[in-house]
Amino acid sequence: MKRLLIVVAVAAALLTWWSLTKRAFDWHLPFDIPPPRVPVDNPMSDAKVELGRWLFHDTRLSGNGSMSCASCHIQALAFTDGRARSIGSTGEVHPRGAMSLVNVAFASRLTWANPLLDKLEDQAVIPLLGDNPVEMGLGGQEQRAMTLLREDPRYSRLLHDAFPNDEDPHSLLNGVRAIAAFVRTINSYDASYDRYLAGDQDALSEAAIRGMDLFFSERLECFHCHGGFNFTDSTTHANSNVDRTGFHNTGLYNLDSNGAYPPDNTGLFDMTGKPRDMGRFKAPSLRNIAVTAPYMHDGSVATLEEVIANYARGGRLIETGPHAGDGRLSPFKSEFVVGFELTLEEQADLVAFLESLTDESVLTNPRFSNPFVD
Amino acid sequence: MRRLIALVALLLLGSCSRWDLGVEVPFVATWKGQPLSCESAGPALTDLRFYVDDPQLIDLEGNAHHLRYATEFEWQNDVVALIDLENGEGTCENGTDVFFDRLIGVTRAGSYRGLRFTVGVPFRLNHANPLTATTPLGDAAMHWHWRSGYKFLRAGVQSTDDGFWIHVGSAGCDGTVGHITDCRFPNRVEVFLPDFVPGESVVVVELAELLAGTNLDDGEVTNCSSGPAEDACVAPFSALGIDFTTGKPTGAQRVFAVR
Repeated sequence: MKRLLIVVAVAAALLTWWSLTKRAFDWHLPFDIPPPRVPVDNPMSDAKVELGRWLFHDTRLSGNGSMSCASCHIQALAFTDGRARSIGSTGEVHPRGAMSLVNVAFASRLTWANPLLDKLEDQAVIPLLGDNPVEMGLGGQEQRAMTLLREDPRYSRLLHDAFPNDEDPHSLLNGVRAIAAFVRTINSYDASYDRYLAGDQDALSEAAIRGMDLFFSERLECFHCHGGFNFTDSTTHANSNVDRTGFHNTGLYNLDSNGAYPPDNTGLFDMTGKPRDMGRFKAPSLRNIAVTAPYMHDGSVATLEEVIANYARGGRLIETGPHAGDGRLSPFKSEFVVGFELTLEEQADLVAFLESLTDESVLTNPRFSNPFVD
Repeated sequence: MRRLIALVALLLLGSCSRWDLGVEVPFVATWKGQPLSCESAGPALTDLRFYVDDPQLIDLEGNAHHLRYATEFEWQNDVVALIDLENGEGTCENGTDVFFDRLIGVTRAGSYRGLRFTVGVPFRLNHANPLTATTPLGDAAMHWHWRSGYKFLRAGVQSTDDGFWIHVGSAGCDGTVGHITDCRFPNRVEVFLPDFVPGESVVVVELAELLAGTNLDDGEVTNCSSGPAEDACVAPFSALGIDFTTGKPTGAQRVFAVR
């Protein structure tokens, strides 16, 4: 009898241990948000996310030690950098601005206009190793990063914890996998808007509610491209079986009356070579948009009011200079950018709604902050 | 009868297994016929690295014979070789100290006049993960992460306060990274050098031809990243024998020549 009790106790202990280790990764998501997609060869774990958090904030992953991923993805700015165009470790100016990483785990395509990039594991290599333009500038110095991963006791320990099945887990590939896993956890579903949807009638001001109605109206058409729980039509998740990606020309430029964009920023056209793709960029998520100025792929619009004014006009007019042209007349413009009339009060309401998409918690959550200074 | 069989066997053996002719195909960078390096005065090299695929020697009857790479050399595998004519010195500050200036391989014993090769990486290898690839495909500088694939050729020249650089690789690819199905602009360079004689000839890479349509005196560094909207690509692509509008070979490259 005693022996039976021991056997049962041991079995129960084993079962508990098994269920604890096999439990699903905790995404810290509200119940009504589906989990994001995760590549089968890079399953989530707390150890991997922890490793990725350190690497994300480690300036030793740049060629000259001057910048980390976090240099252009600053938490307080919803993981953007506040610049019109980002500046790499060697001073080279990127043609485009750093995109927010908030909820990027739900993005069906990554970066501003790349139809090929659907995994953070592939995207993260670009800023690390790419040389046109140079971002972190690690290309050609991968051995230094390898030495860091091998010789820093923290990294060696975390790599073994994060990749327990690897005989030798010290590799740049595993480092990139960990960074991707960490970035996948940067989620934000606790804005005033979310609390309003969850039933808190006081979460939104009267102005924000009026702005919300405008946002979702056929008159303004905003939601066609900025729809869904992530306010972008390039959204996917683990339970989705469609591959939705939207790239849109918003009439921002029209250099030659044939719809041309500045040659260093032609958007999807640069990737596909199809004329109809001129100036088409991904609709970014509008979550935390109030803290990610300046706006558009090249930061050429300073405020939300100006962004709204461009859409109200049905395209931007640039009167003088090398980029002069009337975007409203672009033959490639999205059918949803048709223009609308908006009173000043309505514009303020719309801005109030956009501000209600700011989630203070994601801007301050210690799970995402720089562990080197904590 | 037995003698006949032995004779046939001998003929067969003799005709199909003699892969014993060692061949080297040396490359040299030039500017208007003069050697060009990272330490040249006047125009200087800033970069010159390219993949060579499918090298073939032409025999005196006009038949093509594959040159099989010697894989004991780090910068060759059995499919592609990475020719690297910069050494990281002088103006090549973004380069490496690797210098690999020749194809080394074997082919059938025979007499040859003529060389064909492709500057590029074959499609089946072009879109693999560079973080798991081995040399010569493991070089991050040669990988084009955002276009998904390799830079088949990267070249650059600097003169006083001006310069030019070019990255040539497949563009307009369909699918997603890891699952690329096709590229609308293959952008591979087809080279045929009818006067190449193994053991005597050197393949010259004439940068002045590559830059024939580029202004090196306007103080503006121009560059070409194989994008369909890039005007700076038109002239160099023509020099490389690539139709800029289709990405297909025109059969009229002028950059590679024999000396």
